[in-house]
Amino acid sequence: MASTNIEIDQEIPSVTKAVTRQSIDLFESVGILDVQNIHNNEEIARQRLGTDYILASGRMSITFAAESLRKFFGPAVFNHTGTVNLKFLRPVTSGDTITVYGKVAHQEKVEQGTLVSVDIYCENQNRDKTAAGVGTAIVP
Amino acid sequence: MVNENRKELIYDQLEIGEPLGAYEYLLTQEMLDAFRQSVGDPEAPYPTLAVKHDSTALQMVYYDNTGGVNAGNEVEFFNPPIPGKRIKVTGRVADKYARRDKPYLVIEATAIDEDGRLLEKLRTYQMKKPDEVGKKWHPQT
Repeated sequence: MASTNIEIDQEIPSVTKAVTRQSIDLFESVGILDVQNIHNNEEIARQRLGTDYILASGRMSITFAAESLRKFFGPAVFNHTGTVNLKFLRPVTSGDTITVYGKVAHQEKVEQGTLVSVDIYCENQNRDKTAAGVGTAIVP
Repeated sequence: MVNENRKELIYDQLEIGEPLGAYEYLLTQEMLDAFRQSVGDPEAPYPTLAVKHDSTALQMVYYDNTGGVNAGNEVEFFNPPIPGKRIKVTGRVADKYARRDKPYLVIEATAIDEDGRLLEKLRTYQMKKPDEVGKKWHPQT
């Protein structure tokens, strides 16, 4: 066990986010290419996925998970040593409410400190998992 | 910014390690503000996630009529980007493989700023049969 004040199975702060068409459009507007895709064009989503709704980018869920992890580790640690690795299990779309959960799973000594791994997942309002994976940071 | 000589993306012809687009852009305060508002986090430090460095690099050199579904992302954070600085991105094809008869493409991008600070590394696992995923999701009718 590494010597931090962090304990195995310790929960990280949850965050809950309402995903709306406006928030999806705003996220997509940050991009530097003006492209039509499954995140901003229902017709393309229909053609490619057979859905009649656009999808929120998976990177929105990455950002939600990063917020939980940043609140747990602190920005000085997470913003400079953090990682997020998520697999996307279900679509997230306008009208969904996504909550991020996480628990510390592992700690190990590394050269720069202690590498702390957190098992994380995202759930929608129906308690279906939309994403799952691991976040890490190196605590000095 | 998109290369006028883009090629059609043909999965079988992609090579692991193949370089994708290399590009620069100016990160503005407006981009940071829009990103933070979109994710409801006034302290969110990496608007680069919404710029989608790796898929942007892919789209700069290929046009993709098939599209893909984002099956997963891996991101490493090093230094938050600073508004007003130019960001330099290089992309590459990191991997490609088949799983359960579905083709996957892994693209990767590394971002540094104009001062040479390493900002972020991002990988995306794209599943290149998006209609299969749509069926699995039981789309709304």
